[in-house]
Amino acid sequence: MNTPISGLRILPAEIETGLGREAGAGPGFADTLHSALQEVDRLQGEANRETGGVLAGGTTDVHGAMIAVEKADLAFQLMLEVRNKIVQAYQEVSRLQF
Amino acid sequence: MNLFGVLEMGGAGMSAERLRAEVVTSNLANVETTRTPEGGPYRRRMVRFRAEVPHASPFQLAFERSTGGRSVRVDAIVTDQAAPERRYQPGHPDADGQGYVAYPAIQPVAEMADLLGAVRAYEANAASVQAAKQMIQQAIEILR
Repeated sequence: MNTPISGLRILPAEIETGLGREAGAGPGFADTLHSALQEVDRLQGEANRETGGVLAGGTTDVHGAMIAVEKADLAFQLMLEVRNKIVQAYQEVSRLQF
Repeated sequence: MNLFGVLEMGGAGMSAERLRAEVVTSNLANVETTRTPEGGPYRRRMVRFRAEVPHASPFQLAFERSTGGRSVRVDAIVTDQAAPERRYQPGHPDADGQGYVAYPAIQPVAEMADLLGAVRAYEANAASVQAAKQMIQQAIEILR
């Protein structure tokens, strides 16, 4: 049902050459994005574990599994919208004419 | 409170109410039970709820105190100490010397009302979970 999105990890080399941080600055944008992705991935793992527990008969709280799935879904939606916004901004910039 | 604080509180409420329904069902099932592993008739059980600060990181806890949001959990399942009801049934295998049988002091009608209360409270908590979800979705809509 949920494929882990940890496979989408940004390569360290890309972080250093591309969206990397300035010397002395706080965490770069890529780091923030990376940690957000990890959080989404963690919530999806939790949802997987909870639903697995209910289906295997280990836990009795069906609503707990449902809430975990909803949390993962909401976090994913938020991550997706942020990503769409970034890509949109990038496309705007790439269309700039001089 | 983090983004999912309301969802978690609603979920805790649902868990607590589900357990309450379970305990009430156990009372209803054992209205006529005269034998238990502990000996004597079945005794009515009740749940005791306790409000608690939802477990979170210290940073979240610092914020939590200002909002005062409290989660719920079942503190204990207590046994009613009321004396059993004695009915005159001389032929019964559990009758005492005078022919009286000790039955649990359970009022099925009161238990039914309690069960309904648990179901309605579960519903209300589910509604608050739905509301929290809709609020988060509305916030995400802003980005679109």
